[in-house]
Amino acid sequence: MRNNNVLGIVFASVGDEKLGELTSRRSVASVPFGGRYRLIDFSLSNLVNAGISKVGLITKSNYQSLMDHVGSAKSWGLDRKNGGLHILPPYGRASSGVYVGQVDALYGIKHFLRRSTEQYAVICNSNVALNIDIADMIEKHIASGADVTVAYKHGDLPKNDGDIMSLTLKDGRVNRIMMYTEHKGECDYGLGITVISRVLLMSLVDKAVAANKTDFARDILMPNVENLVINGYEHKGVVAVMDSMQGYVGANMQLLAPSVRADLFNKERPVYTKVKDSMPTRYGIGANITNSLIADGCVIEGTVKNSILFRGVKVGKGACVENCIIMQGTEIGSGADLKYLTVDKEVKVGNNRSLCGSPSYYVYVNKGTTV
Amino acid sequence: MKKTECVAMLLAGGQGSRLGVLTQNVAKPAVPYGGKYRIIDFPLSNCANSGIDTVGVLTQYQPLELNDYIGSGKTWDLDRLEGGVHVLPPYQKSTGSDWYKGTANAIYQNIGFIERYDPEYVLVLSGDHIYKMDYSKMIKQHKATGSDCTIAVLNVTLEEAKRFGIMNANPDGTIYEFEEKPAQPKSTLASMGIYVFTWAKLKKYLCEDAEKEGSSNDFGKDVIPAMLAGGEKMYVFRFDDYWKDVGTVESLWDANLDLLNPNIDLNLADPGWKIYSKNEGLPPQYISADAKIENSLISEGCEVCGNVDFSILFSNVTVEKDAKVMYSLIMPGAKIESGATVKYAIVAENAVIKSGAVVGESPEECADLDAWGIAVIGDGLTVNKNATVSAKKMVTEDVKEGAKI
Repeated sequence: MRNNNVLGIVFASVGDEKLGELTSRRSVASVPFGGRYRLIDFSLSNLVNAGISKVGLITKSNYQSLMDHVGSAKSWGLDRKNGGLHILPPYGRASSGVYVGQVDALYGIKHFLRRSTEQYAVICNSNVALNIDIADMIEKHIASGADVTVAYKHGDLPKNDGDIMSLTLKDGRVNRIMMYTEHKGECDYGLGITVISRVLLMSLVDKAVAANKTDFARDILMPNVENLVINGYEHKGVVAVMDSMQGYVGANMQLLAPSVRADLFNKERPVYTKVKDSMPTRYGIGANITNSLIADGCVIEGTVKNSILFRGVKVGKGACVENCIIMQGTEIGSGADLKYLTVDKEVKVGNNRSLCGSPSYYVYVNKGTTV
Repeated sequence: MKKTECVAMLLAGGQGSRLGVLTQNVAKPAVPYGGKYRIIDFPLSNCANSGIDTVGVLTQYQPLELNDYIGSGKTWDLDRLEGGVHVLPPYQKSTGSDWYKGTANAIYQNIGFIERYDPEYVLVLSGDHIYKMDYSKMIKQHKATGSDCTIAVLNVTLEEAKRFGIMNANPDGTIYEFEEKPAQPKSTLASMGIYVFTWAKLKKYLCEDAEKEGSSNDFGKDVIPAMLAGGEKMYVFRFDDYWKDVGTVESLWDANLDLLNPNIDLNLADPGWKIYSKNEGLPPQYISADAKIENSLISEGCEVCGNVDFSILFSNVTVEKDAKVMYSLIMPGAKIESGATVKYAIVAENAVIKSGAVVGESPEECADLDAWGIAVIGDGLTVNKNATVSAKKMVTEDVKEGAKI
């Protein structure tokens, strides 16, 4: 633990546009995931589990639901006298507006960066669910003497619009960064997690802003592979990139595999989330559950198969929920039949209603809808 | 310090010896309940929900787990700018040091703590019961009647009355007599161990009681009778919702399974009166394709691949394939391996039931019904392969492979 010598910076909105209706009223950071989490829980927990006690959370738009979720940051132990969670919304100066890219956003929090005393900063996005050992990454960064260390994963490049870097490395050092490439097959791709010294970060951001640049990876890292020592840190564990609605569904459904859960919900590095104090889940007579991940506070009297149920979901008698993601507080009436759906929060499905998507296209049901 | 109208004092030092192995390493208020709670969550949540923000928790017996659990009081929203929750163990004074000799003595030794807040009233609670109660209503009645002591009472049956402290009250609610476990009860109003005192009066009686030779320094046995004899104004406060003492293995088991009974009115899901508990940051529960679950309560972090019927699984419990759990409480972190059977039993925290082992018996299987009871496996113990633990057995050490006890 290197308490207080590393600063965390989390982008709440990078990748908002990829999740369609899921992010129409929330930023990607507060998209519900895995039965009881919001995506930001992974970023915050990763940082906190590395002993980081000061985190700046950069918000852009649609952040009311995120504010509601993080509150005073008690749930992550970030309600601190020294450090803790700093929420950094846009409009920091009278002349500034909503930022246009990460560089602009980092420039907008210049004051926060300048006043911080930590030697290093860890920057991460909120559109990836992963449990990564940031403490180890920082240690390797310091030991190697690199200027920048970026986390990467070896595997199929997720869907992207030029916002995910693919890398080539030699002896741990990144010697080439590609973006906007049509990559086929496996490669090493960036996870949006960067370790860098705070002072270097500020100077790189200043230079980029002076040149009217906006993107951190494209405008700061890519042109500097030779001037800076950029190292790679391979993450071998599970990575779920929320690159599309389908990607979101797949990322949730893969949690039904024990190996994925064991990695993502690592007992040594727990994933913390806002506590709701709901009672344990109650299974009634006639309940029939197979292969499902179920959060607390549910009342289940029907059939649930291959599904993810968030907190406080009610499944009535004789109802059948198959291959669905059902978010918090949704109530499914008795005899209803749901297949291949992503059902947002607080939806009411009447008795004996039937709704069906397909394995390749999960139909999305909007928050608060009555079916 | 600002004046606080009412300070709550929670008596949490009791050993709860009737719970046997379940309280070997923890105080009774720290015993798990209801899948994700501990008994002390009930009085503390009631305090928070009733608007009482200054609580002293008197600990004595095995306080480690309890102290850790209470922490800063965050869990119950009792980490306050003023007041909040305070753990009060016995301490050394210039005149010597003493354990808490009785419930009244525990409060007596902490007069200094109470006086810091200069309260009008003191609410005395115990950490032994499962109930939801709005203490502010009781305090309101105490004020309205101008009472010196108000005692919460529950209407029990005449038969049950013989096991409780019984308040004999006039129709206007004033108490004229108190009888501890009467053979011939005159009334059925049982004391719930919840008192509101006008602090000035209580202080006087506590000091007198401390001076008295031979006093057991107990509220029920000494202070309440002394106040009655002294002609103080004492009222009952009637309570008629769910309340259960969880002092014995059977009553603890019963009170847990009450949560599965739709006819019993103990709603822990009421958003207006939440029962808070400490959260461990666990993932949702996973129910596999081989599992069969009916009429049960299951908590976070559980992995269930076997059969669970009419049972409560606390957090992080594993039930492997072909294991059977019926009419049982499986406390946090316990593991029931494949092919094991657990019925009519309480398996304490982190215990392991190895494959093929059988713990507990149903009343029907038990030859002698009088000898039937709930089997209990102590925390951290292992019941090895193919061992059998009979009904009502309280297991305090590992059970060897194939053994029958």
